[in-house]
Amino acid sequence: MRFADYVSLALRSLRRSRLRSALTIAAILVGATGITVMLTFVTSVKHYVISQFTDSGQDRQVQVAQTSDLSYRASGQVDGGGPGGGSGSAGQVVLGPTQEAAIAAISHVSGVAATSGSFGPGFEYLAFGGKQLSAQRLMGYEPNGVVRPSMVAGRSFGTADRSGVVLLSKDYATALGFGGDPARLVGQMVVLHTQAGYTGGGATLPNVLPPQRQCEQGQRNCFGGPTSGLPAIDIPARVIGIVSSEDQQGAIILPLPWLIDLSDQSQPKQVQYPQSFGNQPRPGQPAGEPVPRTGPPSGPGAVQGGWQRPAAAEFIAGSGGYGSFIVDVDDSANVPSVAATIDRLGLHTATGLAALAEQKHAADVIGLVLGALGLVALGIAALGITNTMVMSVLERTREIGVMRAVGARRSAIRRLFAFEAAMLGFFGGVIGVAIGYTITLVAAPLIRTAVKSGDIAGTSFSVPLWLVGVVVAGTTLIGFVSGLLPARRAARLDPIEALRYE
Amino acid sequence: MATTALVELRDVTKAYQLGDESFRALDQVHLSIDAGDFVAVTGPSGSGKSTLANVIGGLDRPTHGQVVVAGEDLAGMGDGALSRFRIDRIGFVFQSFNLKADGTALENVMLPLVFARVRPKERRARAAACLELVGLKDRMGHRPSQLSGGQRQRVAIARALVTDPRLLIADEPTGNLDSARGEEVMDLLASLGQAGTTLLVITHDPTVASRAGRTIEVRDGKVLEAVR
Ligand SMILES: Nc1ncnc2c1ncn2[C@@H]1O[C@H](COP(=O)(O)OP(=O)(O)O)[C@@H](O)[C@H]1O
Ligand SMILES: [Mg+2]
Repeated sequence: MRFADYVSLALRSLRRSRLRSALTIAAILVGATGITVMLTFVTSVKHYVISQFTDSGQDRQVQVAQTSDLSYRASGQVDGGGPGGGSGSAGQVVLGPTQEAAIAAISHVSGVAATSGSFGPGFEYLAFGGKQLSAQRLMGYEPNGVVRPSMVAGRSFGTADRSGVVLLSKDYATALGFGGDPARLVGQMVVLHTQAGYTGGGATLPNVLPPQRQCEQGQRNCFGGPTSGLPAIDIPARVIGIVSSEDQQGAIILPLPWLIDLSDQSQPKQVQYPQSFGNQPRPGQPAGEPVPRTGPPSGPGAVQGGWQRPAAAEFIAGSGGYGSFIVDVDDSANVPSVAATIDRLGLHTATGLAALAEQKHAADVIGLVLGALGLVALGIAALGITNTMVMSVLERTREIGVMRAVGARRSAIRRLFAFEAAMLGFFGGVIGVAIGYTITLVAAPLIRTAVKSGDIAGTSFSVPLWLVGVVVAGTTLIGFVSGLLPARRAARLDPIEALRYE
Repeated sequence: MATTALVELRDVTKAYQLGDESFRALDQVHLSIDAGDFVAVTGPSGSGKSTLANVIGGLDRPTHGQVVVAGEDLAGMGDGALSRFRIDRIGFVFQSFNLKADGTALENVMLPLVFARVRPKERRARAAACLELVGLKDRMGHRPSQLSGGQRQRVAIARALVTDPRLLIADEPTGNLDSARGEEVMDLLASLGQAGTTLLVITHDPTVASRAGRTIEVRDGKVLEAVR
């Protein structure tokens, strides 16, 4: 007997009892539809999670921080001080340009970017269109493309973006009235208003210092800062991108060189006050050191020898270093070894791989549970197939006798009935997948509107091809197995008794 | 000597165990049928006629004795070989036609060729030829419900002939037909016999038996040769 004969004979007998076949197939397709829809959803979510990781490059990145819990070392406001902070407390490495160079030299590292949240010029507020918003959380990202924040609109920094540009987190856009369409904030100029006494990049530095309002005994620097009597200034910045609030909340992100330039406050080399009191610069003290003072000067002071700033590297080290490094690795497979090498430098690393594996695992577990529910439905449907086939064998006893009489061997009869049962499963699977596909088509836009998060909107929720194959093959196999028992019964029938059966 | 016969039964017994008693449907039967014979089998109901036919046709196995048909000893055959033997050598015709109600005459006749692994094209041609032979050339697309009883039995005969068997076994082929239709079927069988087909026809009807070249009678499982 040929394959095509099994198909046509099985189809024929299925057609003979249409209603019963249809009901049996219906039971299968319920399970198949359920499995298709649920597993499509789970795999889409999983795919989304993975693509989030790979698209953002997180699978190829190592986070480097000073402490193992990734918390930034609070270094407080840098109020124009020099490298007074030293190079960190004993035993702790301060993330700075030296480490950046060391990490960049590690093999498989294709890019290093420093980020900083630990120093800032202390902006009073961010202003736009008459609104003023707090500007507490300043971040610096090295503009070399290694840090890839998830963007809601616009773009992140490119290598050309050294200064004058800013990324805002989405909550700023919302607070500024662009909640509905953050993209419209992109390209607009905002103003960063500094605190009084600002002497960082962009400040006009006077030759004569105004009288200081207050200067505590022992305060090391009164030449800048809120007490210095120097004015606050407005620094304009063009918004080039809006960062997802899930990624960064309440953050103003500047190119790291600009952040350093703004944060690194200038000092007068020397100040000559009309009346001297307190500690005047001692003879022999090298120029460039801030002048220690003990009391508040009352009158204006003349700046002598101009203004100066510490070198960037010194400033960074003095401010407690970078918040963290993000290290790009050429291949996700090399991430663990790169992380281990960096660990040996005395730094702490974290990779996204463990988190990704965890999320994948969670999706797998959900898929497994949902799939198991579908399997239960299919198990019940399998009993339906067995029942249908038992009835079919009974009804067709005489026909079985005839087939045996004209030369059908037992195995042909067994295969014929098993095949018929497999066909029930096959049709149930095919129709189930088709209905499941339709459901996902209809449901995808609903899910996208229900889940407001803009990120998930791009997820396809389409039935993966492997799932089609697995479901159809699975239901066919279930049908086949369910039909084995009745098929064996049919094959075992004594042809003579079968022919006599009424 | 024995090889000349198409069918050779030696000391064949078919016993059924009924409770603690053994009942012999066939009792030490010796029988030999030559190729080309037209043999009528008569006897009262329950005497063992069908059992005899089924044993010869390889559908039933004797409890004891030797059955040799067309040179093949059926005793040692497994299900596969016996099925193959039925396809190649035997054609069965039943009292109640046993046609598939949802198939056309042509499809019913093609059925044995499906199991014989004949190519679909050839099946169609051979089945059509057999239907033509039984005079149903213009009824090939009809379903059994659209045919008369006699026509149905002729479809069944075509089905039995389609594998070109050495022996045609008909178990009361006219039992479900009125006498006119029965006559029609017997005419067909007789003409097949004349054309050289070996026939074993079971019947109650003495007029049917009279058309056969040879009549054997079965009584209580024993075969008695009727006077020629
Ligand atoms: N499976 C069986 N079990 C017990 N007895 C049977 C069985 N099949 C047939 N018989 C008995 O064998 C005898 C012969 O049956 P059968 O060959 O069908 O008779 P016939 O065809 O001459 O009417 C009958 O008495 C019948 O009851
Ligand atoms: Mg009988």
